[in-house]
Amino acid sequence: MTTLSPPRPPARPPQHPPHPSPRYRRPLGLAREGWLQYGVLLLLAVLVLAPVVPTLYQSFLDRPLYEAGGVLGAGNYVRLFTEAGFGQVVLNTALFAGLTTVLSLLIAVPMAVVVVRTRLPGGRVFAAAMQWPFFISSLILGFGWITMYGPAGFVSVEVRQALGFLPWNLYSIPGMALTEAVALAPIVYTFCANALRQSDASLEAAAQVCGAGPLRILRSVVLPLLRPPVVYSSILVISMSVETLSVPLLFGQPVGINVFSTFLYRNGLQSINPDYGVLGAASAIILVVTVSLVALQARLLKNAQRFVSVRGKATRPRPLDLGWLRWVSVAALAFYVVMGALIPIGGLVFRSFTQVFTPLQSPFRTLTGDNYERVFTYPVYVQSIVNSLLVAAIGAVLVSVLSLLAVMVARRSTFRFARAVEYLALAPQAMPGIIVGIGLFWALAFAGLGSLIQGTLWALIIGFGLRALPSGFGSISPSVMQIGRELDDAARVSGADWLRTFTRILAALLRPAFAGALILTFVTLLKEYSPAVFLASADSNVIGTTMLELWVQGNTGSVAALAGLQIAITAAFVGLAGLLLKGRNNDA
Amino acid sequence: MPEVKVANLSKRFGDNAVLRDITFTIADGEFFTLLGPSGCGKSTTLACIAGLERPTSGGITVGAATFVGAGTFVPPEGRNLGMVFQSYALWPHMTVAQNLAMPLKIRKVDRREQHTLIAEALAKVGLAELTDRYPHQLSGGQQQRVALARALVYSPSVLLLDEPLSNLDAQLREQARAWLKRLQEELGITTVYVTHDQEEALALSDRVAVMSQGDMVQIGTPEEIYETPATAEVAAFVGRCNFLTGTVTGPREVRLDCTGQTITVPAGAAPAGAHVTVAIRPERLEPLPAGRTAPADVNVLITQVLTNSYVGSRHEYGLRLGDHVIQAETTRPGLTGEVTLVVEPAACLLYPATGALPQDAEALTTIAQ
Repeated sequence: MTTLSPPRPPARPPQHPPHPSPRYRRPLGLAREGWLQYGVLLLLAVLVLAPVVPTLYQSFLDRPLYEAGGVLGAGNYVRLFTEAGFGQVVLNTALFAGLTTVLSLLIAVPMAVVVVRTRLPGGRVFAAAMQWPFFISSLILGFGWITMYGPAGFVSVEVRQALGFLPWNLYSIPGMALTEAVALAPIVYTFCANALRQSDASLEAAAQVCGAGPLRILRSVVLPLLRPPVVYSSILVISMSVETLSVPLLFGQPVGINVFSTFLYRNGLQSINPDYGVLGAASAIILVVTVSLVALQARLLKNAQRFVSVRGKATRPRPLDLGWLRWVSVAALAFYVVMGALIPIGGLVFRSFTQVFTPLQSPFRTLTGDNYERVFTYPVYVQSIVNSLLVAAIGAVLVSVLSLLAVMVARRSTFRFARAVEYLALAPQAMPGIIVGIGLFWALAFAGLGSLIQGTLWALIIGFGLRALPSGFGSISPSVMQIGRELDDAARVSGADWLRTFTRILAALLRPAFAGALILTFVTLLKEYSPAVFLASADSNVIGTTMLELWVQGNTGSVAALAGLQIAITAAFVGLAGLLLKGRNNDA
Repeated sequence: MPEVKVANLSKRFGDNAVLRDITFTIADGEFFTLLGPSGCGKSTTLACIAGLERPTSGGITVGAATFVGAGTFVPPEGRNLGMVFQSYALWPHMTVAQNLAMPLKIRKVDRREQHTLIAEALAKVGLAELTDRYPHQLSGGQQQRVALARALVYSPSVLLLDEPLSNLDAQLREQARAWLKRLQEELGITTVYVTHDQEEALALSDRVAVMSQGDMVQIGTPEEIYETPATAEVAAFVGRCNFLTGTVTGPREVRLDCTGQTITVPAGAAPAGAHVTVAIRPERLEPLPAGRTAPADVNVLITQVLTNSYVGSRHEYGLRLGDHVIQAETTRPGLTGEVTLVVEPAACLLYPATGALPQDAEALTTIAQ
């Protein structure tokens, strides 16, 4: 018994001179952390407001905002709906976004239910396959779909030969919506699958005890539980399809179907004498739409459980058995993965190795490396790859550092404007890439920095980085929330001020989260291109803008080659980073 | 070692007041405990002393130093206090020695002295040999003692303990409690202890402050808290208690609602006609041995035995008194059927008849007729 108890403390502790609390400098009467916190707030505010304020200002101005003598008025908005035909654009956008949302829900919700909650052969493979959009940009997916299912696509030609006619038309709003839905379904899937994994297994067990069969359990218990993630992800899908540029540009532009983003593209870039007033007014309206969607989404998420701890539950829910229906499910899942992603992307990669890609002549007869050779012989194309890598690498570091600081200020400080820092860091969610491009373009022109930054890689890093900031913030924030607040408190009581607590304690603990944010933002930045449409010059093109240029020239072989290279770079980077991280974890 | 003065401390989150006008003074070297159910504000009070929370109003001074007062707020790093957290909050990426070295490095103590101080602090808690372990390689009890060593290594002016024993298992907790008491007495350091465990509070403290819903309800020695609770709430929370409602019928008389009989209570109670709650500790209810008559100056309650639980050192009886179930604790085994209980008038505590027990507890102690 006595061996168990801790030893008796020594009778008289030796006396030491006390060690008083450390003193910290307070430059100009503000504590050290105050300077950093106000700095982060100011930087974020400048970054976020830079594209927004000039856009709003321009929308009420009767001439380009850098020209003297502008008069404020609502004339732009009137012209937007009368001369510019914006009403049809609004209608198209609404149709496109609505249809995309419905289709992606139809694809993803049943998929999440069967993969997570039923016994399914190869369920894990399908769950992993749903991560494909992480590696592939929607621009490349668009190219892939046209290559296979477009009017002259590989599959289309085959089908037309077999049936005598083509039962679909990709260059239409339903065609655009279907492609976009395939690209966005994984987002809906992720939200629903997470909700299903976290749901209480005993709810289903209770239904089973009452005598309910698997299908009734799915209908009466599982599906109603999915209402919150379905609502939330629908809004996310709506706002993403409102702002997307790739698919509408590739599919809609040739046949004259315009949505928000292509309207801006056409009026800002393709007209010889762009009407900046109309452009500003359209951007302002689109911003109002996306901001209200994101605000609505934030509101809904606030009511739902915001941060569910990742600690695993002791009881895993028992997967339901669907009987013969599971083979139907497997077939449907395989159809989505193969037809939606595998064939278009595989076809595009195959295309990059051939001269002519059509079923009329075996592509194997024209196998060639010419497409890649062409990319590598023209310095501008090589330059665009180098530019993409530079923007992604520098941008990833800057965005991750800024995200980390923003998370620390927003979540781990008593800073008066902590909330504002969080909102600012997440605000770019509501800013379509093309508007970020236009807005920064105006901001730089207005500030007189146009000649310095305009057209350089820095302009792209700022624009792309701004767009990637919410993902960086979102990937670091949960890790910070998982570190017990008492660890900070212990350091503070021990004599460390806020800054020192961060450098001595939290920085070390957050290293894995920071590495994760680096990888995520690198891949995001590598895929990004829409702000560059306005911000890039001939010398600062990135892979995405070069692909668009080549596509317009009809140089599809080189487009395919560049797409192949971008996918390869992403996969290699993610693989390498994964290996490095794994090695580190094993050491610890 | 200085004394700690907390004056009129209030803390509000929006419209929600979590602390209302808390005032107390802790003497030099005293072991002072804040006791109360979860959500009563005891941890917020401690966090205000530590500087981790900023009170809405009020003042905190330690010795000559004003931590919180008109226009001043010293941040936690400027207060030189030691604190042990409920989760211990050992920094997981540092060894035991590195954990203890942190506060010394921040204070720019030179390396040789750091070494001696760390060794001494670890010797105090009996863990001298564990310097190079990481926190996850330690048992819960060891982690708790490392956390204590880290809080003591820089000789802080006051030691703050936030439920440090609640994560230990029951047996270890009792031993750790006794050890902590000895350590505190030998160091003589002013200590503020927060717990929801009333037994722990009574066993450890020089004085206990009972809090409830942001209010300070009673401050006193463990004896005062247990023997003369200031309110029915304190009586219910500290130790167990039977509550019987009744009406005052005379200067020292209360008629009980459950049986209609009149019992004698201490003098100076409520005016006649007032509704009151009579609180009686289970161990103050004595079963009268068969064949003996009760003395004239005690109260007699005729009850029927409902349940008998043997809990080791004593028997706990559930007894029916009218439409009520009351608890009695005694060393006498085997009581059945009708039992006569006697209770001294001095053991009957009188409180205003506002629900001392929550409604569910009230329902559980009532028998449907």
